[in-house]
Amino acid sequence: MGLTRRDFLKHSSFVASAFLLSFGIPLKARAQMIDNGASEPMAFIQITKKNEITFFLPQAEMGQGAYTVLAMCIADELDAKWEDIFFEPAPVKEIFNIPGMPMMLTGGSNSVRARHLQMRQIGASIRAMLKSAAAKYWKISADLIQTKNATLTNTKTKESLPYGFFVDVIKVMKVPEKVTLKESSEHVLIGKPTKRHPKEAWAKVTGHAQFGIDVRLPHMKYAALIHPRVFGATLKSFDATAALKKPGILKVKQLANNKIAIIAEKWWQAKEAINDVVVEWNEGDFIKISTEDLAKEYESYLDKECLPMRKDGNIEEAFAHAHKVVKANFKFPFLAHAAMEPLNCTVHHQKDSAFMSMGGQFQTLYRNKCAEIYKLPPEKVQYYNNYLGSSFGRRGNPHADFVIDAIYAAQNEAWPVMTLWSREDDIKMGSYRPMYRNSAEMAIDKEGNILGFKAKVIGQSMIKGTLFESVMFKDGIDATHKEGLTDHHYKVASHDIQGFCPDSPIPLLWLRSVGHTQTGPLVEGIIDQAAVAADMDPIDFRIKNLQNPRFVELLKNVAKQSNWYKREKNSGYGVAVVESFGSIVAYVAKVKVENSDYKVEKIWAAVDCGLAINPLNVENQIISAVNFSIGITKYSEITIKNGEAEQNNFYDYTVSTIADAPEIHVEIINSGEKIGGMGEPGVPPLFPAVANALFDATGKRYTSYPIRLS
Amino acid sequence: MNLTQGTIMIQFTVNGKAYSVDVADDTPILWVLREHLNLTGTKFGCGVAQCGACTVLLGNEAIRSCSTPISEANGKQITTIENTSDKEVKALQKAWVAHDVAQCGYCQPGQIMNAAALLKKNPHPNETEIVDAMRGNICRCGTYNRIKSAIATVAKG
Repeated sequence: MGLTRRDFLKHSSFVASAFLLSFGIPLKARAQMIDNGASEPMAFIQITKKNEITFFLPQAEMGQGAYTVLAMCIADELDAKWEDIFFEPAPVKEIFNIPGMPMMLTGGSNSVRARHLQMRQIGASIRAMLKSAAAKYWKISADLIQTKNATLTNTKTKESLPYGFFVDVIKVMKVPEKVTLKESSEHVLIGKPTKRHPKEAWAKVTGHAQFGIDVRLPHMKYAALIHPRVFGATLKSFDATAALKKPGILKVKQLANNKIAIIAEKWWQAKEAINDVVVEWNEGDFIKISTEDLAKEYESYLDKECLPMRKDGNIEEAFAHAHKVVKANFKFPFLAHAAMEPLNCTVHHQKDSAFMSMGGQFQTLYRNKCAEIYKLPPEKVQYYNNYLGSSFGRRGNPHADFVIDAIYAAQNEAWPVMTLWSREDDIKMGSYRPMYRNSAEMAIDKEGNILGFKAKVIGQSMIKGTLFESVMFKDGIDATHKEGLTDHHYKVASHDIQGFCPDSPIPLLWLRSVGHTQTGPLVEGIIDQAAVAADMDPIDFRIKNLQNPRFVELLKNVAKQSNWYKREKNSGYGVAVVESFGSIVAYVAKVKVENSDYKVEKIWAAVDCGLAINPLNVENQIISAVNFSIGITKYSEITIKNGEAEQNNFYDYTVSTIADAPEIHVEIINSGEKIGGMGEPGVPPLFPAVANALFDATGKRYTSYPIRLS
Repeated sequence: MNLTQGTIMIQFTVNGKAYSVDVADDTPILWVLREHLNLTGTKFGCGVAQCGACTVLLGNEAIRSCSTPISEANGKQITTIENTSDKEVKALQKAWVAHDVAQCGYCQPGQIMNAAALLKKNPHPNETEIVDAMRGNICRCGTYNRIKSAIATVAKG
């Protein structure tokens, strides 16, 4: 690909028609085009003379709707024509870092909360610049110019000009220091239910959307990987003689990360040769690791004094004088993310530079990893982010596992190499949501006040050993053990909350809603038990003991929606409310128990994310979170025996299907509080809402996940 | 063409266009589509016919292309998500956009092709029939509710 960005810019009509329609343009040329070298706000937008407008979006699109919602924020303030805009992933550059963070990163449901104001300001700045350019041109005051559908209109003469007419003028114009954002009454997109941008939606239903796995570069090769099956094992030796004789196999190569890459003309050929490579591993004592033993170890800490996470009030007195005490032990298994698109990354190691492309959540970190390994200045590594075939945290790995595979496989090779994991690699190799063994105790008085709350969280740290350790791992405690637990919203007179992080060689990683996957079910499970012990309705008990009126409003909302106080007697009903990532979600779940099985029949949801910029996307994220979490509630579990995960693929690592999907009704309360995230907050309350509904149906408490009735 | 042991010339059409490929005859249709014909709309999800992301039509039947050897396509018609003329596929694509189904979008080509095969056999499925036909297609984003309503809209005609 010999064309430079300059060549493209020279042929602006080609740029306008082909680049902006994006497919058909070779990837490396596309990667150059997205970097227009401008500063804010123009770095985020390209307007051509033909009035085609492209947004360069700095957050990864993994299904959560970041592209659409961020584009809504820009387009609304810019007065662009919604259907006509194009978008591309932003390149990795400092200017695209999350405001206040030293990197580009998509995680913690941060895309909209961290960027909505910035995106609006970018749109507003450019609109102001266009108006001021037109004012000069028409020799009238900018106030007399109207903007709509990417067109400027002189209200005196009724003359209209497209934004593209002024593009050269605004490129050299001073950016206004302050811009006025639209009032909410002026918004045409923000706050309105808006479907996925049609360009994204159509690309995804016609097979044209490009995911990491679809990256194609001239002369590229494909690699299948051989990983150790036993966690912690190291490579001793291998013999690839037989594999190298098979069709298409080019090279079998040991990678510095303890794996072997089989590089072939086609990935299928590489995968077929895996069994022809004879490998010996040093498995040592790692082969003795099992979840059974780990569970015993974790459970032993439940009887011991662990490290303090929150201690206040007089806990001894609270439990000594309690009217009633409720207790529960919780079990949470290791979980694989099982993102729909198997993990992959493509890297081309060129002479003094490198090119990499994938779908990744940690753009800057991955780019820097490549620069570090190839000993290149970071700006010499060009990164193009594609759509992510879901992720749930898996493509945001501080250890960069699936990225490093490609960096090593392509190192010093003449061709670009795509490394692609099989589903078995994905299920068996980690990085898992940690396993936990937790406990909770609550003391209440006769009036249903909570006197004391004791809890323990025992699980391996997912933060230790990562670049997040300095801020998220302190005094032996992992911040993800505490989130949602030590900062719960109930009125409680005394606390003794402890934690501990045993080590093991099993690689771990956050999964959608992170620590809340274990603290949500713990807090909302023990509160439900306390309500019953207080002889109170579970919603009334929560309302009585909650300090935050936003929670109360959501509970009243789901009570009304579900007709809670006159609920059907032959089904089980359960409630839960959890805040995470700046948003609060309440659910009432209705379950039907039949024989030894159960079905979640209906979910009533109430959501307060401050302001729903796109209410339809909020609803979609709740639907997503509910169905995703029903799989975790009912089925998903990784168990380890003889050092190896026992599950292999979707036939033994079960996730939810269309047959599990309940009816879902969502109501949104715009409280006007700070805007919260939406990719994750629908997950944590689902587990306890279902577990509490199962108690209502059966009279038994289910605290061991996945929940099986027999 | 260079015929080596275990390879045969296989002829078939994809979306009406004729192809002949010279590959090992046990190569799954999925990898022929993706790596030989560069039709990347059909997705790899599990490799063992457990998730449905790779679903295409062979004739009018939905098949899991990751586990169907290309030899079975000899002399037959394959329809993939990239086709622009199949009546059911077109109607479903439109309904998918109207119902705002796709989130990450990765499984949706397989969902749509599987639904197309259902509608070819049964143009007016009820909800139970839709669920029964679609339960082998995993969507990790959990767009199932939207998938049901999109198919139901097309089924109503």
